[in-house]
Amino acid sequence: MKSDDIMEEEIELMKNGKRLDGRGPGDLRPMSITANVIKNANGSAYMEWGNNRIIAAVYGPSEALPKHTANPDKAVVKCRYMMAPFSSISEHGRPGMNRRAVEISKVTREVFEHAILVDKFPGCEINIYIEILQSDGGTRAAGITCAAVALASSGIPMRDMPYSVSAGNINETVVIDLNMIEDMASDADMPVAILPRNNEVVLLQMDGSFTKEQFDSAMELIRKSGEYISNLQKKALKEPYEKIIDRYA
Amino acid sequence: MSIKMITEEYVSERLKKGIRDEKRGHFDYRKISIKTGTMPNAEGSADVQLGNTRVLVGVKIDIGEPMPDNPGEGTIITSAELLPMASENFEPGPPSPESVEVSRVIDRGIRAAGVVDTKSLGIDEETVWNVYLDIYVLNYDGNIFDAGSLGAVAALLTSKMPKYDNGKVIRDEKMGRLKTNGISTSCTFAKVSGAILLDPNGNEELFAASRLTVSTDENRIRAMQKGLGGYFTQNELDKAIDVSFEKFGALRSVIKESIGD
Amino acid sequence: MRTILVPGELISDKTMHGEGIIVENGKSYASVIGIYDSERQGFIPLESIWSPQQGENVVGVIDEAKLNTYNVNLHSPYKGVIISKYAEGGLSNGDIIEATVRGLDKTGVAVLVRPRVLRGGKLISIKPSKIPRVLGRGNTMIKQISDYTKTSISIGMNGVVWLNGGDIDLATDAIERIQSEAHITGLTEKIGEMLKSNEKR
Repeated sequence: MKSDDIMEEEIELMKNGKRLDGRGPGDLRPMSITANVIKNANGSAYMEWGNNRIIAAVYGPSEALPKHTANPDKAVVKCRYMMAPFSSISEHGRPGMNRRAVEISKVTREVFEHAILVDKFPGCEINIYIEILQSDGGTRAAGITCAAVALASSGIPMRDMPYSVSAGNINETVVIDLNMIEDMASDADMPVAILPRNNEVVLLQMDGSFTKEQFDSAMELIRKSGEYISNLQKKALKEPYEKIIDRYA
Repeated sequence: MSIKMITEEYVSERLKKGIRDEKRGHFDYRKISIKTGTMPNAEGSADVQLGNTRVLVGVKIDIGEPMPDNPGEGTIITSAELLPMASENFEPGPPSPESVEVSRVIDRGIRAAGVVDTKSLGIDEETVWNVYLDIYVLNYDGNIFDAGSLGAVAALLTSKMPKYDNGKVIRDEKMGRLKTNGISTSCTFAKVSGAILLDPNGNEELFAASRLTVSTDENRIRAMQKGLGGYFTQNELDKAIDVSFEKFGALRSVIKESIGD
Repeated sequence: MRTILVPGELISDKTMHGEGIIVENGKSYASVIGIYDSERQGFIPLESIWSPQQGENVVGVIDEAKLNTYNVNLHSPYKGVIISKYAEGGLSNGDIIEATVRGLDKTGVAVLVRPRVLRGGKLISIKPSKIPRVLGRGNTMIKQISDYTKTSISIGMNGVVWLNGGDIDLATDAIERIQSEAHITGLTEKIGEMLKSNEKR
C-alpha cells in the first residue's frame, strides 16, 4: 500500500515571522476543554486543541487486579494512550497499541504517578484512558492536559494539575505548540509537562537540535503558554459549579 | 471492581407488570441523536447517542489492492472497539469475541444491502479504494449493535472521496461523496424473562437469555444474528422481523436528518 | 467570600486541616475541586473519593462468604468485612446489605456492623460527594422523595443507593436529578415540584 506523501516537497514552515497557519512563534492553537463527558466513568474530559480531538476518562480508585499488581503502600496508576485508526489526516492507522503508544502510555502514567496523591489509596488501581480521536501533532501533550481535567473531575486528589505542551525549533526560531506538519519538518520537538505550582517538570522528551540558549527560551515559552493552558483547565472544572457561588453570594 | 446494581428478579417482576426503564413500551427505542462530520480528519464520521450509549464511527478511505475474487471492486473493512472507558466491564487488549461479533454483524447488514457501491471503488486493475469503518464505543448502556449500525450508515452517507492522482492519494481535494445505494437499519431485541424487548439497555442486557439483530432495508431482510445461549420461537422471530420493518422508516428519518437530507 | 478552587491552588497561607487539603511549607493547597469560605476559613470538597468514617451507613453486596467473615463489595476503593457472629441468621453471596462502619482495620478494610439484608429492589450508583445533597438538611430531601413515591430508600455514604417499591422510576429520576443539579439553588423545592407534577399524571 502506498502512503500519503505529505512531506514530499520542501515546505517553508515560517515566512516573515508567521507560521503556516498564521501563528507567531509564541502562539498556541485555539483550544477548549469540557469536563464530564463519559457517563460511566468516575471522571472524564473532552479536549479540542487545534485539530486534535481527545477524550480522557478515569476509573477507580478500585481494588488493584490482578492482585499481584497491587502495591500495599500506594495506588497503582495504569494508563493507556491510544490513537483511533481514523484519527489521522492521512491513511487508516493500524488498530491497537504500537511501540509509540506503549511509550507514550508509560511517560503519561509517570506524570500522574507524581501528580496524584497515590499514598492515599494503598492496594488500589487508578485507570486513565486517553483516546486520540483526531490527531494533528502534539497529541501526547493534549492527552496529558485533558487527562488532568478528567482526574480533577473525578475527585481523585492531586498535589497539582499538570499541563503539557511542546516546543520546537523552526529554522533556529523557537516556537510553541507544533502542529503535525511542523512536527514532521521542524528541527526539534520537545514535549514537556509541568506541575505549575512549584514548576516541577514531570515529562521531558526531546529530539532534533537545540542550543542551550534555545532550550532555555523554549522552557520559558512553555511556562508562559502553560499559564494560559492551566487557566483553561481550571475554567473547564469551575464553570459547572459557578452557580454555587451565586447561591452563597 | 464492578457491582451488580440490579437483580434478575427485579427486572422480571417489572416486566410482568409491563414496566421498562425510561417508561418504554417493549418495542420503543430510547432517544436517538446523530451528529455527522464531528471528526473532519476522517473521510466520514458520526457520533451517535442512543439513550446513554454513545458510539463514534469513523470512515477512512485508502487505496489498496482488490480481492482476487473481486477485481475492480473495493472492500469495506469493519472493526469495533469496546473501549475500556465505556464500561468498567470492558478490558483493554486485543478485540474480544464480543467486539468481533458486533463489527461483523454491522458489516453484514451494510454489505448485504449494498449501502456502499463497491463497484464504484475500482480505480484500475491493480488499484481500488478500500473503505475502513471503525466503530468506537465511548459509553456503554446496551445495544451497541443498533447504535453502531446507525452511526456506520450515517458516516458512510456523508463520506467524501479523496482524489487519486497517479498513484497518490490527495486528501485536501475531495472528489464528491462516496457512492452509496440506499440505507439499511438494524433492530436488536433481547429476550428477558420471556419478554421480547427492542433496544435493550445495559441492565436489560445483563439478564438477556438471547439476543436477535435484524437488519433490513425498505423491503428485504438483509442480515440477521441470533446471539447468547438462549433461543427464540418461530412466533418471536416473526414478531421481531415485523417490528424491524415497522421501525425502518423512523430510523431512516433519523439518519437522513443527521446527514442534512 | 466563597471561591472555587481546583487541585494545586492556594487555599491559605496558614496550615489547615481537613479533607481535600495538602500542606506544604506551612501553606495549604486544594488537592480536589472545592469551595473555600474565607469567613469561616473552611474548605468543602465538591468532588471526592469516599473513605469510610465511623458510624456511617453504607450499602453494598456480599461477594464472598468465608469461614468467619463476609466480604462486602462497597463499589469504592474500600472493601467491607462483616464478622460472621455479627450477622444473625447468616448472609449469602449476592445479598444486598445495609450496615454501619465501625472503623478501618490494619489492612485498610472497612469493618461493618449491624448488617441488615435489603430484599428486592435495585441499586443505583451516585457520586459520594453528592450524597449529602440527596439526603438534604436533616434528611428533608430524601424524606420528601420517599413520601411522594412510596419507595423504600436506603442511602449508603459510599454512593450506593437502594430503592424498592412505589414509583421507583420517579424516585430514581429525582435522585439522579439531584446528582446532576447538586449546585442549583432551591433544589428541595425544585424536586418537590417535579414529584408533584409527576403525581398528577
